[in-house]
Amino acid sequence: MDLFANLALGFGVALTPINLLLCLIGALVGTLVGVLPGIGTIATVAMLLPITFGLPPVGALIMLAGIYYGAQYGGSTTSILVNIPGEATSVVTTLDGFQMAKQGRAGPALAIAAIGSFFAGCVATVLIAVLGAPLTKLALAFGPAEYFSLMVLGLIFATVLAKGSILKAIAMIVFGLLLSMVGSDIETGASRMAFNVPELADGLGFATVAMGVFGFAEIIRNLDAGAEMDRDLVQQKITGLMPTKKDLKDSFPAIVRGTILGSILGILPGGGAVIASFAAYTFEKKIAKDPSRFGRGAIEGVAAPESANNAAAQTSFIPLLTLGIPPNAVMALMVGAMTIHGIVPGPQVMQKQPELVWGMIASMWIGNLMLIVINLPLVGIWVRLLRVPYRLMFPSIVIFCAIGIYSINNAPVDVVLAGAFGLLGYWLIKHDFEPAPLLLGMVLGPLMEENLRRALLISRGDWSVFVSRPLSAVLLAIAAGLLVLAILPALRAKRDQVFVESES
Amino acid sequence: MSDTPSEAPVKSILPKWVRGPQDFVGGIALMAIALFALWASSDLQGMHGFSFGAGTVPRMFAVLLLLLGGVIALIGVLNDGPQIGTYAWRGPLFVMLSIVFFALAIRPLGLVVSAFSCFLIAALGSHETKWLEAIIVGACLTLGCALLFPYVLGLPMPMFPRFLIQ
Repeated sequence: MDLFANLALGFGVALTPINLLLCLIGALVGTLVGVLPGIGTIATVAMLLPITFGLPPVGALIMLAGIYYGAQYGGSTTSILVNIPGEATSVVTTLDGFQMAKQGRAGPALAIAAIGSFFAGCVATVLIAVLGAPLTKLALAFGPAEYFSLMVLGLIFATVLAKGSILKAIAMIVFGLLLSMVGSDIETGASRMAFNVPELADGLGFATVAMGVFGFAEIIRNLDAGAEMDRDLVQQKITGLMPTKKDLKDSFPAIVRGTILGSILGILPGGGAVIASFAAYTFEKKIAKDPSRFGRGAIEGVAAPESANNAAAQTSFIPLLTLGIPPNAVMALMVGAMTIHGIVPGPQVMQKQPELVWGMIASMWIGNLMLIVINLPLVGIWVRLLRVPYRLMFPSIVIFCAIGIYSINNAPVDVVLAGAFGLLGYWLIKHDFEPAPLLLGMVLGPLMEENLRRALLISRGDWSVFVSRPLSAVLLAIAAGLLVLAILPALRAKRDQVFVESES
Repeated sequence: MSDTPSEAPVKSILPKWVRGPQDFVGGIALMAIALFALWASSDLQGMHGFSFGAGTVPRMFAVLLLLLGGVIALIGVLNDGPQIGTYAWRGPLFVMLSIVFFALAIRPLGLVVSAFSCFLIAALGSHETKWLEAIIVGACLTLGCALLFPYVLGLPMPMFPRFLIQ
């Protein structure tokens, strides 16, 4: 069968000693940098991107995949230990993970996160191999109108399951879309809202904005009076590093459910992984016998979202490889990396460079395996990080972030911009606006504009093209349906309850 | 354009009919950002025929944000909502100072000097800081960064002040 031939080809590429080594180094470095608090997945991948430039394309992408998984796991580690979600996907992990850490169960929480991620990774790898080819065929039926509708659907999806007010989430997306407009116009090259600042000519970098609104804003907020108590509590006691039999038994079904949910949602472009982790958490809470345990250190509350986000992170390669749409900020960076190596992601890659695609898919599985091998023994070390007092931790985070941003473009202006976005992020937190949708809007903005313009150009300015093409109409209908469902008061009340309880 | 919303909090100045100040001020600020974006993109070409100009999509998004900001502000007027949270000044001030210092210093003074000073300035942001400890940790961290970023990760950046090297 094709599938096995493809997978064999992939493992043939990925299992060469040099690629194995690259994957191992990537996963290790990714974990080490990702575990630095304040430097999440996006920042880690952005910082480490340059070290892959000198490699051949396959090797570079395999190493990047390793870095990505390492960073993802490193990011969960900081969510659990210091309550700083490195990126949107680990936000839910903080809810129960940090509570577990407070109860001295940081070790089991970290271990379960690694085990759940590994399981999810195995399932998702197979899924990509199975679905990759058929979805590529579907992708060929996609015109600009469909792409645009698909992105609308993705954005709506991201708001529906986000916590808090839907209206505010949508406002944040639009704000992000607006921010993405800064820089040169794709078609005419006109400078837009850049105020003749040369560094803005290329637009605002994701990493700059992400590090500002997540990293710096979080630090500033943690320095507020009242945040201290939470931080100190963690340092008191640490018991048992490995999960008990009961922990494993409790979390296994949650891992399976999270994996299934994550795999499905990950395929949708538009923050699949973010949605997946929120959805998995909500689902676990809904079917739990005693929902009140959630938010107070329930191990399922760590297992389900962590597996879901890893499964989704993996299946989110599908839209990238088949449609060329980066479903989230990290994938957008991957597109950047591919472009540097002269690969344009999209349906052609699958056909023209199969060894590249399948090599990467196989290396994802290997990357996951590496992660569990590297990280289970390291859990003890990470837990010891908790002993570092915050007064020493936060200036260190500031330095790491500053150097990290500077190193991306060697531009001091980027550092100041990130600082400004830090203040913006602090303000957003104070007004209960979520930064995650903002970032998503920023990522999808340029693509949305491009496809919107192209679709209307092809239809000669006829807006009905979005509803007259069946595939596009279906996508928009699903988006509209979701929005209506979300605004229905009954569902909304339930949804709010889920997160209000767990956060208080 | 990102600096506009980080204005000082408006507290208790708001009239009584504003029942949810957090949403009201948030919505107004988003409207301000949208208006700013409309102004900033006003010099760009708009539609000609059915083809989009450079300014069409930015203006579309700005108008959409203006509307959404308006609705959020309206909700703030009509519904009871939380007060605006209190802002601390010490953390933001020193963290920002530290970031700006780093940006200004990295080129002329190099990684070693800027990272170390950046650490100490940021440390001013918390009243829990113990100075001797902060200086020791700052020095170790600077050394770590000086090895990690340029050598291990191979990122090109100046290490020492320019006037010392020449």
